[in-house]
Amino acid sequence: MAEAQINHQDGRGGRKLLALPQWLTSEHPLPWLFPATAMLIIFGIYPVLYSLWLSFFKRNPATRVEKFDPSWNWSKLIADDRVWDAVVVTLTYTSVALIIQLVLGMLIALLLDSDRRGFGVLRALMTLPLVVPPAVTGMMFLLMYDGSFGVISHVLYDLGILSPNAPLLANGSTALLSVIIVDVWQWTPFMVLIMLAGLRALPKDPFEAAAIDGATDVQAFFRLTLPMMSKIIALAVLIRGIDLFRIYDYVKVMTDSGPGTATETLTAYTGTVYFKSADFPYASTVAIFTLLTVLVVANVFIKIFRVRF
Amino acid sequence: MESSRFSVFARYVLAIAIVLMFVFPIAWFALTSIKPISAIFDKDGVVVFDFVPTYENYQVTLFGQQSIDVSENSRSDFGTSGGNSYDGRSSIVSSLIVAIGSTFLATTIGLLAAYGLSRLQFRGSQGMLHWILSQRFLPPIAIIIPMVFIFRDLGLRDTHLGLIIAHTLINVPIAVLLLKSFIDDIPRDIDEAAMIDGATRLQVFWKVIMPMAKGGMAATAVLCFIFSWTEFLLSLFLTNSIRTIPVKITTFVTSTGSEWGYISALGTSAIIPGFIFILLVQNHLVRGLTMGAIKD
Repeated sequence: MAEAQINHQDGRGGRKLLALPQWLTSEHPLPWLFPATAMLIIFGIYPVLYSLWLSFFKRNPATRVEKFDPSWNWSKLIADDRVWDAVVVTLTYTSVALIIQLVLGMLIALLLDSDRRGFGVLRALMTLPLVVPPAVTGMMFLLMYDGSFGVISHVLYDLGILSPNAPLLANGSTALLSVIIVDVWQWTPFMVLIMLAGLRALPKDPFEAAAIDGATDVQAFFRLTLPMMSKIIALAVLIRGIDLFRIYDYVKVMTDSGPGTATETLTAYTGTVYFKSADFPYASTVAIFTLLTVLVVANVFIKIFRVRF
Repeated sequence: MESSRFSVFARYVLAIAIVLMFVFPIAWFALTSIKPISAIFDKDGVVVFDFVPTYENYQVTLFGQQSIDVSENSRSDFGTSGGNSYDGRSSIVSSLIVAIGSTFLATTIGLLAAYGLSRLQFRGSQGMLHWILSQRFLPPIAIIIPMVFIFRDLGLRDTHLGLIIAHTLINVPIAVLLLKSFIDDIPRDIDEAAMIDGATRLQVFWKVIMPMAKGGMAATAVLCFIFSWTEFLLSLFLTNSIRTIPVKITTFVTSTGSEWGYISALGTSAIIPGFIFILLVQNHLVRGLTMGAIKD
């Protein structure tokens, strides 16, 4: 900040009633940016560094003494099968949910992109899931998934897809998918909104030209719509992907990582270490590992797809 | 595309069916909140409309009435003699205090930074923007453990102020980027004309930018409010006795059974403010969700 300079484009001096130093006046960026920067450093950067620092300590569970031992937690992490299970669960969760949300979001956006009467109302109704607190969403689906009185379970029983002996969330093979469906319900509207904005911003001319040349709607979609919307799609995937990667609420509320560790994501595992074994240094290590993974994946994505904000 | 009457009709049917699928879970939850216990836990199947509506769930969760009827199913007999552990009123107050406080702080701090980044050219402003953006993507889990210790040392653990700070921290990056996109839309000529007339930047900010960015500020405030209102992880880690609604509601799930009537009553009440707010900012929703990257 010290070397920050402003361009005096007009060279205007102004009246000087108070002889404040230049960097304290409203002409200098410092006063404008100070509150936000201070906030983000004290409660954002500092805790991350603190977390990293904590990860270098070995905690003795019996004596509760923490001793400096930089490699202890990190070698424990590498040897910890639950971490790698959690990586697999997190990546599965993120990619499956992201693909479903992206495809479904695009299809629903195409369907709702109409100026006919009533479509505006439908688009507004579509946004409602976005404001439901995720913990409440988890409850909503927990109620519907319930093996004895849940409406979704009963529909599945009637269709013969599900057996009453194997409730959705108690079964390792269906639990993860059931949680993904909750995420899809809540966040597909996010994709729909972004895709709709993209569709509305498309120029009309290329589509008219294509229609004259005899292109079908499907051809126009793959040759024109998709390429023209690639920037927006990349942006939506990035925002949603990072949010998916740090999923916590649904897992905590609905399955608490179970059955076994079938739905244990990295964030959920961090929470488990924190709450159940109170091994704060190791919990910090898993948390920092999560952060590093997000950073690497997000930056690779930004480089490949040249996402710009 | 949709030339024939049939395809128009088919499109309506399909669109309505899909939207209904997305509305159904909320409707079902709201319906559950007015069902008596016998209709929620029916052994023979799922009760849809065949029940006598009751407001008892709301009376218990929103008005603090004793939950007597529950005891006949001996479901809430876990030694809460006298006290009503399903009274959601204090959690509603906590949620409101935290949401309003953090919305005000984040919007104010964000507006100042957004103006600085939009109007003052300085070395490193682009880097700063990227840094703020990267903070948006910081997983809360990476900061939560030290935050518990820091808050404990500062006396902020389990206080409204502490949670306000935590939510503000998450909201500031969104507020800065979103408000910057709105301020960028205001032509610079207006500022410059005012400054040629002798106004300082502070005066320009107060008298020109703020009135013109009102819509953007409202949209930002709404999004910050919704985030804080729905947030779960930070509230869970940073508080014990102060419970925001999302955390409070999870305590209704017990090992002896879940009180679905109370869960759905408090849950339905918690959804309503968000519905009202999101309908108010429909026009800026996409911009808000993409932090100003996509303008509508």
